[in-house]
Amino acid sequence: MRILFIEDEAQLREQTKQALQRQSLTVDVAADGQEGLYLGLEYPYDVAIIDLGLPLMPGIEVIKQLRENNIAFPILILTARGRWQDKVEGLDAGADDYLVKPFHFEELSARIHALARRASGWSSPILTCGLITLNPSSQVVMQNNNEVDLTAYEYRLLHYLMLHAGEVISKTKLTDHIYEQDHDRDSNVIEVFVKRLRAKLDPDKQLNPIETLRGRGYRLNLPRPSESTLS
Amino acid sequence: MAEAIDSTYPVLVKALSLSKRLLLSVSIILTIFLGFTAFSLNNAFKASYDVTQHKQLKNYIYMLLTAAEFTESGNIIMPSSLAEPAFSTPNSGLYAQIVNQDDTVWHSESLLGKVLTLPNTLRSQPQEQISIIKLGSEQLLNLAYRVVWENNQGLEYDFTLHVSEDLKASQQAKDEFSLNLWYWLGGTGLGLLLLQLIILRWSLRPLSDVAEDLRAIEEGEENRLSQDYPTELNQLTRNINSLLDQEQSRRQRYKNALADLAHSIKTPLAVLQNELNLNKGKVSHQRQTDVQLEQIIKSIDYQLHRAATEGRTTFQAPVAITALIQKLTTSLDKVYQEKHITYQSQLDPTLTLSADEGDMYELFGNLLENAYKYCVTRVSTEIITDEESIRFYIDNDGKGIPKSAQKDILKRGKRMDTQTEGQGLGLAISSDIIEAYQGTLKIGSSKLGGACFIISLPRR
Repeated sequence: MRILFIEDEAQLREQTKQALQRQSLTVDVAADGQEGLYLGLEYPYDVAIIDLGLPLMPGIEVIKQLRENNIAFPILILTARGRWQDKVEGLDAGADDYLVKPFHFEELSARIHALARRASGWSSPILTCGLITLNPSSQVVMQNNNEVDLTAYEYRLLHYLMLHAGEVISKTKLTDHIYEQDHDRDSNVIEVFVKRLRAKLDPDKQLNPIETLRGRGYRLNLPRPSESTLS
Repeated sequence: MAEAIDSTYPVLVKALSLSKRLLLSVSIILTIFLGFTAFSLNNAFKASYDVTQHKQLKNYIYMLLTAAEFTESGNIIMPSSLAEPAFSTPNSGLYAQIVNQDDTVWHSESLLGKVLTLPNTLRSQPQEQISIIKLGSEQLLNLAYRVVWENNQGLEYDFTLHVSEDLKASQQAKDEFSLNLWYWLGGTGLGLLLLQLIILRWSLRPLSDVAEDLRAIEEGEENRLSQDYPTELNQLTRNINSLLDQEQSRRQRYKNALADLAHSIKTPLAVLQNELNLNKGKVSHQRQTDVQLEQIIKSIDYQLHRAATEGRTTFQAPVAITALIQKLTTSLDKVYQEKHITYQSQLDPTLTLSADEGDMYELFGNLLENAYKYCVTRVSTEIITDEESIRFYIDNDGKGIPKSAQKDILKRGKRMDTQTEGQGLGLAISSDIIEAYQGTLKIGSSKLGGACFIISLPRR
């Protein structure tokens, strides 16, 4: 899952970035509104976190312009003032949730996961597809009640596929959502990750959880719980 | 005593309104002016009437002289009828008598046995003499006219011709004139006063308009004074408007300063807090530090909100309270999307409240967020208004708050220092704002099954 974080305070930006990366999230950061808007328009993020008090372009303006350009990813606003007028203005401009500074990382990551889940039609905080469950907050993956040990990228890949279970996801899209902006990309690596994931999730080759659709991409083929279908 | 007079005098003068002052002074001037006019007109009329009467009497004298025939022996022969029939009609009020020395040589038929009390006429006195004489109870105006008749032998005979006219008629004419004069002048005076009153109303209208507009601003129905007043007032209203603007911008500056302060304090705190979290578990007393940090942040939050609370001030723009609540619930619907909350409201869309918009956002934002947070699936709002107050009911279908805890929550809301860890700031802030508006906050049980927050705010 790829996150855009726009915050002008350097220390807070770096801290938060590190903390989010520890949660196996892919994080791009921007220090001002213009850069943030550019990134938001350029890359397919899953969630954006936007501080309202930004240099060069205010957070509200960034949100408005993103929405005007039909960018639909969920947006979480950060506000230091914590005034309801700011919150309402932000939500009205197109944000989906707000968080008042200072905040705990746990709170921030819970909100990010909730927004991503909501955007892809999940209601329960723990993603369950067939026998596989993924807990985004503890980053624990279970297969048939056995914990599966995954590397950071394998986890990112599985998380994204599970969020979009049943959808066909192209290799490019997968690359976009698990790598940071300046990362050296090689789509062949995706194939390797998928192969490893299959081996770890389905050692007996019974489930075939990840289906390959030639020339189109991959699809997680395990059923979601019925209540979590897109409403 | 002197003190008492000194202190009451200016109060009395001050208490008089502009229109009363103008009306009073105009009435006094008008009364004096009309009084003088009436007095002098009346006098002029009387004088001219007297002159006319005098002339008339003199004409009668000439008539008598023309009619009279003087004999050589110094007698007078008068014709049996005169050109003026009133002299021949008894008791007509017009009498004539000719006197030689003290002897009456002739009198008109109108006298008929009565005797006029005639004044003495001496040679030393002027030829004509006017006086008021009596005939019984009647008063007469008498003109005495002396003539000297010289016969052919050169003997001189003194005669005095008296013509008297009853004063009753002339008095009646004068009285009638006076009465008419008073009627007309009184009527004109009243008319002028009435006209003056209308002119006054009309000229002072802009003043009462300004007062009315200011009241509307006070009540929060308007933002500024409109610009179309008479030139004399425009200077004043422009000043009031710029004062309003200054007040507004001063408030804005104050708020911005607070917000900047919040920002400058809270960002480093956020860094610090996160630093602690990143190194969690490394030092045993970090949990305690974190708690302390949390407390600092909360206090800053609370104090800043308190300081930013405007409360009720004289010049406040009206807040469309329904639209504000709708904006908040729309926002909260978005944030609490996953709970699939059914929100119901019974709000009057035209309702406005003169209050600070920011305060109202905080007040209802916090209470509505509580309702959304603690409900199961239903939240409702209702407004009931009466003459004095507006009551807002915010209901939810959550667990509710037990009676015993309801009071504690409000008490804790009032005193932030005693607040226990984990308690939200929202209620404390809302409670403070309500207090700043002299309102009340009650917690009850909702018809939906959960808690019901009842906010009552006075309308003015």
